[in-house]
Amino acid sequence: MMDSASVADVGRPATRRRTLSRSLRGGLKGGEYTWAVAFVVPYIAVFVAFVAYPVVYGLWMGSEISLYRELFADPIYQSTVVNTVLYLALGVNVKMFLALLLSGFFMRPGWWMKVLLLIFVLPWAVPQISTFISIHWMLNGEWGFLNNALYTLFHVEGPSWLNDRWMALGAVIVSHIWKWTPFWTLILLAGRMAIPLEIRDSARVDGATGVRGFVHITFPLLANLYLICTLLSTIFLLGDFNAVTFISGGGPANSTHVLATLGIRDAFEIANPRLGVAAVMSALPLVIPLVIVLMRKLRTAEVQL
Amino acid sequence: MAYLTRRSVLRGSVALGAARLLAAPHIAKAAATTATVWFAQGFVQDEDVALRKAVTEYEKASGNKIELSIIPFAPERQKIISAITSGVVPDMVDSNPNELLQLYAWQDKFVDVSDVVDTQRAQFSETALESAQAYNSVTKRRSFYGVPLRAAVVPCHIWRPLVEKAGLRIEDIPKTWDAYFDFFKKVQDNLRKQGERKVYGLGFQVTANGVDPYNLFSAFLVAYGGQDIVTKDGKLHLDDPKVRQAAIKATAYLGGAYRDGYVPPSAINWNDADDNNAFHAKLMVMDVDGTLSTEVAVKEKHPEWYYKDMVTHGIGYPNDNAGKPVPSIVGVTQGLIPKGAKNVTVAKEFLTYFIQPKVVGEFVELGLGRWLPVMPSLAKSPFWQNPKDPHLRGYIQQGLLGPTRSDYYVFNLAMAEVRSQHVWSLAMIDVAKEGVKPEAAIDKAFKRIEEIFAKYKVA
Repeated sequence: MMDSASVADVGRPATRRRTLSRSLRGGLKGGEYTWAVAFVVPYIAVFVAFVAYPVVYGLWMGSEISLYRELFADPIYQSTVVNTVLYLALGVNVKMFLALLLSGFFMRPGWWMKVLLLIFVLPWAVPQISTFISIHWMLNGEWGFLNNALYTLFHVEGPSWLNDRWMALGAVIVSHIWKWTPFWTLILLAGRMAIPLEIRDSARVDGATGVRGFVHITFPLLANLYLICTLLSTIFLLGDFNAVTFISGGGPANSTHVLATLGIRDAFEIANPRLGVAAVMSALPLVIPLVIVLMRKLRTAEVQL
Repeated sequence: MAYLTRRSVLRGSVALGAARLLAAPHIAKAAATTATVWFAQGFVQDEDVALRKAVTEYEKASGNKIELSIIPFAPERQKIISAITSGVVPDMVDSNPNELLQLYAWQDKFVDVSDVVDTQRAQFSETALESAQAYNSVTKRRSFYGVPLRAAVVPCHIWRPLVEKAGLRIEDIPKTWDAYFDFFKKVQDNLRKQGERKVYGLGFQVTANGVDPYNLFSAFLVAYGGQDIVTKDGKLHLDDPKVRQAAIKATAYLGGAYRDGYVPPSAINWNDADDNNAFHAKLMVMDVDGTLSTEVAVKEKHPEWYYKDMVTHGIGYPNDNAGKPVPSIVGVTQGLIPKGAKNVTVAKEFLTYFIQPKVVGEFVELGLGRWLPVMPSLAKSPFWQNPKDPHLRGYIQQGLLGPTRSDYYVFNLAMAEVRSQHVWSLAMIDVAKEGVKPEAAIDKAFKRIEEIFAKYKVA
């Protein structure tokens, strides 16, 4: 005969198993649970096929140490890292700062402000590849629109904009800012519009107008949104290769590549896809902390603007 | 209104499964006679029309089906590399770029197609046969992994009106290498005196993008006597003084022409299309560029340019400085069958049909002659010998009937990486822009080439 203590020991895990099973079933019983599983399976299958598998496959492709040895031995890798850091630091921060200022400007009342906003968002609305190809031709030193305009108007011979590393990289960064500032302006404009009028009115009564109102009321309320936008923009920009590919082509002499374009070059021009993946993966030490901070901020953002 | 019930879902699933089972033999039969073929889109529409015609006629003759995808040049390259990397491959692809054959044959990723090549072996030029072979580092031997389909060389394209505007004549152009290219410097000097601010004499692609700069440098390297940089046994000869001297001269001439203002400054960052665009805009007197794409692109819209104003120097391609003919480097497009292809039989049958002289000859001719045939017998056709066409006879003379040689990556895959890493371009740019001495630029380039070759050991 079993004593009471041993009955309790055997019974406890069984109860726990039942609780776990019930919890996994989400309170569903019998046929309901089968149907639920049937409806969820396609979504899981799509997630595995199009999200989990590519990520794991990518990690596997770039997992060999020898790839990184080869990558670091490439003479252009170091300059590529410097370009990527500059592209991110200037491209993201200048753009976001301008977007913050412009979102305040577009809060002004009046129909003409709406018309101006419509014109302002045009660079974002037009297809980016054709835009960047146009910029490439516009900046051609001999026959481009910019230098021809300079010569026609002022008899000044403009420089070869895309022949120098820093000017070419500058052209890429400025083009990126021009193209994407409208989008982030709209996001921050929406954020500003979500600030309750009563808060602004009370602040105004207390004398917080103009810059003071911005520093003490608007910016603290927008800070989380601004940070999240900055993090998202950094992650997007890290994977962007259109601006570099179509404006500077990574030149002159491979001096304006960023990690995304170097990855494409290694994968398809050098025809070494694993090396291309390794080039992009070398940005992971930057991406992972960004994603972690972003996730944490999204959690806190639930109770803030 | 009908409701979805568990029973109706089950009934539907069973019915679908049964239908699939019943249809299986028919699907399998269709699959057995269908091959998937990828091919690069042409520069002019006529090329695609020519390919579709050949495919349709094969389908009629064989009863098989070809699922043809014509894909733009750059995306096709990416698709092929992705397919071979993932293992999910079509039944046949063209070699886009040409070195793809050597690259993946090295890794044992292509089916041996010696039996297909054998059906027309006597017809192919020696260069075409050479280019269709590759070294397999798994089997440790060379074999035919490609079937030659068409070829191209790098002619010189010249604007007659610009030469004449400079007070000179096409007939005045010297026949030896340096004097030939110096002539266009004189044309530029004369045009400048007439107030032409932005017309340049030489369209040299001293850039690190695309395939043009490698082709340009290789042409100069051969002309200066450096043709043995890689010999047919795949060995590298950077220690050969003739090779070193030729590389230095090529770097000095190409970089020097840029530095001295005879090449458009933006050429240092051109892509493969930029020189064509600049030439068509009559902003350069001459361009050294592969295929007849420069001419055929304007044939329909500007026939006067094609027939009167543009000059192609294939026949007039310069001799070396000692007066001896310079062999042109031929790039050959191959038909390839990736390992893992579902229908190797149909793919081989299609290639065997396609390389019949009548079929492949018509294919290149309908494509306006942008590409050359790979069989010398086809050069005699009225199309290529048309006395009214100012470009075709010279082009086929240069690329098929005259002295030619295979590209270096045919003998050692490492040279394909030298090309894609733009090692020669960086040397030219060092001289052109950074003021580096040609000797120092070539020392640096040779060091990099040695590093690259160390990765590819041919047994």
